[in-house]
Amino acid sequence: MSEEVQHRMAHTHLIFWFLFSLGGVIAALLIPVHVLIQGILGPLHYVLVVDRHYDTWVQVLGNPLVKLYLLVLIAVPFYHFAHRLRYLLVDFGVHAAKSVPAQVVFYGGAVVMTFVTIWVLLTTVPIKLG
Amino acid sequence: MSTEAKAALREFRWHMPANWWTRNRHYFLYVVREFTALPLALWLLWLLVEIKRAGDGPTRYAPHESTAFVVFSVIVLLFALYHSYTFLSLTGVIIRLKVFDRPVPPRLITLAMFGAWAGASVVIGFVLIWFAR
Repeated sequence: MSEEVQHRMAHTHLIFWFLFSLGGVIAALLIPVHVLIQGILGPLHYVLVVDRHYDTWVQVLGNPLVKLYLLVLIAVPFYHFAHRLRYLLVDFGVHAAKSVPAQVVFYGGAVVMTFVTIWVLLTTVPIKLG
Repeated sequence: MSTEAKAALREFRWHMPANWWTRNRHYFLYVVREFTALPLALWLLWLLVEIKRAGDGPTRYAPHESTAFVVFSVIVLLFALYHSYTFLSLTGVIIRLKVFDRPVPPRLITLAMFGAWAGASVVIGFVLIWFAR
């Protein structure tokens, strides 16, 4: 293997390790409060939550900062999930999960999720400034 | 080459027993930690669908509030808390910081990350509730 190819592989590895760590941190810091409030307290009517009413939900979703936040919240953890689930399969004896096609499916799936999230955020509610 | 010699050259592949992760508490907790990814991914997919549904218009939009959804969220919350606890506990081992050429104690880094978790939860919770008014 040439030095250039090794260098490129190490670079790709570095990027995916960074995304794995970043996804783990974002999932750890941000997801529990969303699940608690939007998934439990809101549906049980203990608190009024922004996504309970169409008007408030659409108003918030039009904010560009909220769109950026939701992109980070939803898309980035999938790079972490892809890595964990692939290695979980390896640990359960699915050796095919180590293969290059499996890597393409898992990490490619995370990339696809990023594009799907961008598409949903940009096409659902128009960006409103101010 | 004799049959015995051929057999000796054959590759020996050791297979882990299927229940290896139930034999030891640490293995079990390790698998639970890795598995947290699946329920969290499913919940984020739900959130993305909820965002997409906002595009359906005011007459067709109705937020989820079925018992099944709440039960699902409670289960996801348990996995989410376990992910947060295990991941943030590791930060003291992973992150190496130096301030004025002196290393920051790992316990302090872990404590700062748990503090960031609490701070982020309060801010996000406040925003989710405040903008509902």
